[in-house]
Amino acid sequence: MSEDGIRPRGSERIWVALLLTPTMIGLALGALGSMAATIGLSFFAWDMLTTPDWVGLSNYLALPDNRNFMRALNNTALFSVIYVPATVVLSLCIAVLLNRGIYGKSFFRLIYFLPVITSPTAVGLVWTWIYSKDRGVLNGIIAFLGGEPQHWLGADLALYSVVVVNVWGAIGQGMIIFLAGLQAIPRDLYEAASIEGASPFRQFREITVPLLLPSIFFQTVLSTIYAFQAFDYVYILTQTGNGNSTVPTLVFNIYREGFNFFRMGNATAQAVVLAVIVMVLTLVYAQLQKRWGQV
Amino acid sequence: MRTLLTATALTGLALTMPAQAQTELTYMMWGDPPELAVWQQIVEDFEALHPDISVSVEVSDWSSYWDRLRVTTVGGNAPDIFAMDAPIYPDWQSRGSLLDLTPYLEAEPTVLDGVYPGPLAAYQLEEGTFGLPRDFQTIVLYYNKAMFDAAGVAYPTDDWTLEDLRAAAKALTLDADGDGVTDQWGLSVELLDMEPMWGGVVYGYGGAPISDDHTKTLLAEGPAADAWTYLNGLALEDHSVMSAEDLESYGYDGFLAGVAAMTFSGHWVVPAYNELAFDWDVAPFPAGPAERATLVNSAGIVISSATEHPDEAWEFVKFVISEGGQSKLTELGFAIPVLEAVANSPVYLDQAAKGNHQVFLDALDYAHTKPSFKGYEEWSGIVGEELSMVWTEQQSIEDALANIPPAADDVLAANQ
Repeated sequence: MSEDGIRPRGSERIWVALLLTPTMIGLALGALGSMAATIGLSFFAWDMLTTPDWVGLSNYLALPDNRNFMRALNNTALFSVIYVPATVVLSLCIAVLLNRGIYGKSFFRLIYFLPVITSPTAVGLVWTWIYSKDRGVLNGIIAFLGGEPQHWLGADLALYSVVVVNVWGAIGQGMIIFLAGLQAIPRDLYEAASIEGASPFRQFREITVPLLLPSIFFQTVLSTIYAFQAFDYVYILTQTGNGNSTVPTLVFNIYREGFNFFRMGNATAQAVVLAVIVMVLTLVYAQLQKRWGQV
Repeated sequence: MRTLLTATALTGLALTMPAQAQTELTYMMWGDPPELAVWQQIVEDFEALHPDISVSVEVSDWSSYWDRLRVTTVGGNAPDIFAMDAPIYPDWQSRGSLLDLTPYLEAEPTVLDGVYPGPLAAYQLEEGTFGLPRDFQTIVLYYNKAMFDAAGVAYPTDDWTLEDLRAAAKALTLDADGDGVTDQWGLSVELLDMEPMWGGVVYGYGGAPISDDHTKTLLAEGPAADAWTYLNGLALEDHSVMSAEDLESYGYDGFLAGVAAMTFSGHWVVPAYNELAFDWDVAPFPAGPAERATLVNSAGIVISSATEHPDEAWEFVKFVISEGGQSKLTELGFAIPVLEAVANSPVYLDQAAKGNHQVFLDALDYAHTKPSFKGYEEWSGIVGEELSMVWTEQQSIEDALANIPPAADDVLAANQ
């Protein structure tokens, strides 16, 4: 009988339908509509001003030879490989620490969550200053310690520098998800384990991690989707004088292709490829979760 | 027959009379607030002649201008008239966003009388003429007399070569307070885009940035490669050119900030430089081993193909190109007028601003037109990106010259 509580009956159904309508219209027009338009446009050559020309699959077939796209794909893959594990592991560790009765717990929760609600533009500008080569804080510290200043946003290091900012910005959100998961683990499991003489590390490995697996999978999926959509910090931190970036990611490249060069067909084809990649990865995670994540 | 004609004419009149009440046009351009003020005067003069048309001027800075133009054009709200930059013009023309002015010019060919042929040619495409030059810019050398005097270096002359420039720049790069950090530079100039300096050097060495038919990137070939060795020496061996980070702390123009002895620029800096406390003058672009060369580029005025009032917009464009419009524009001091008569008149030559304004006109004799072709923006993006890594010492000039041609030629091939 437990699920009956959320099932609307009789006149309630009208209300439910009525209240859901605005959201459903928004979803249909805003999300599904633009998805359909994107897929449709990817079969055309269109400069946004003249009539679109049907070109079939050629926007897709041209992608492997498109050096900007391949470079962006490569950058994005590398970005994700570092970003996803780093975000998940760091936010899990911080959540576990904050879940204990440490002093000033809510202060630290606030501090870690702050980047999530701060404007990426403002944050990005501060990091630009931190990373600046000759006048940056980071190189200032390195020079003070007698090290060699680095070109943090140059071609060699920009990817890693940008990943650091993104991970730093995302830890807060992951932490909240993990904290919620941790609160749901029954206390008595730990009490029983303590009585049995299990070390805190063993308790973490045998109780916390298995019971948090759904949250870990959830956070991994979210981070992966985010990693493939990385744009804001890339745009602010790595943009070069002529509108390109030292580490163009897929979304950066799509933005440039579509809105700077007016090649909407190419841009939408790249967006569809990006969506397919994210979808495939999400399905793989879902399969993994089915196998290992059931509690 | 006659009655029919009269009837048609009368009906035509009757139809146009109420429409004459007021046609509102928008003109969008890039620029500074003082430029807006002068353009508003031009508009006032125009409105006095055409009481039935009113024009509102909207001005933005260079980069937000192009963003706004893209958004409004794509959104179907393009301004009736807008400013154009010659190199980007073929891209905008190819998207069908500009009105073809050819029929208007055929009906009134005298409009073009006395317009400098070079800047005009940049707007005459095979497809037709979709815009007219509004004013133009030749690049010359600006120098700070006080810094030359203090360092005991002779002022630049009409015979200067690029080697003279390098020697002077080196002598003018100083650590005045002896703390090991440079606080005065020989040159402050942007080396990403060809317009201010590298174009003139490449041509001066006998090279070219791109083939005449715009199918091949030549900037790494033969004599051009020597030009890059020269620039590399000037910027990275002598450290005579302010780096981008140095510039950032001085507000993007080292000459204006009084920390660089020389700069290469067009006439657009004259109003700002006129306010400077120190004495300065201009000299021709120094000669290279092959020839003396510089670049000339023009800003244009175009009409949107989506405008509802093409005839009225054409009236405004015509006025801007006319002697009245050009004289007003010249008073502002930002640019050189496209009408030869105005350029050679006291309005331009004896303007209140400092500097020898004849030098800019003489530069036309040895100037190359800044290349203008479909795909220019993307092409120059690739070039600038590779160069920016050279000037920030992330890769060598040799690596950049090896990387640019294949990627840049792909863009050219895709735009044929």
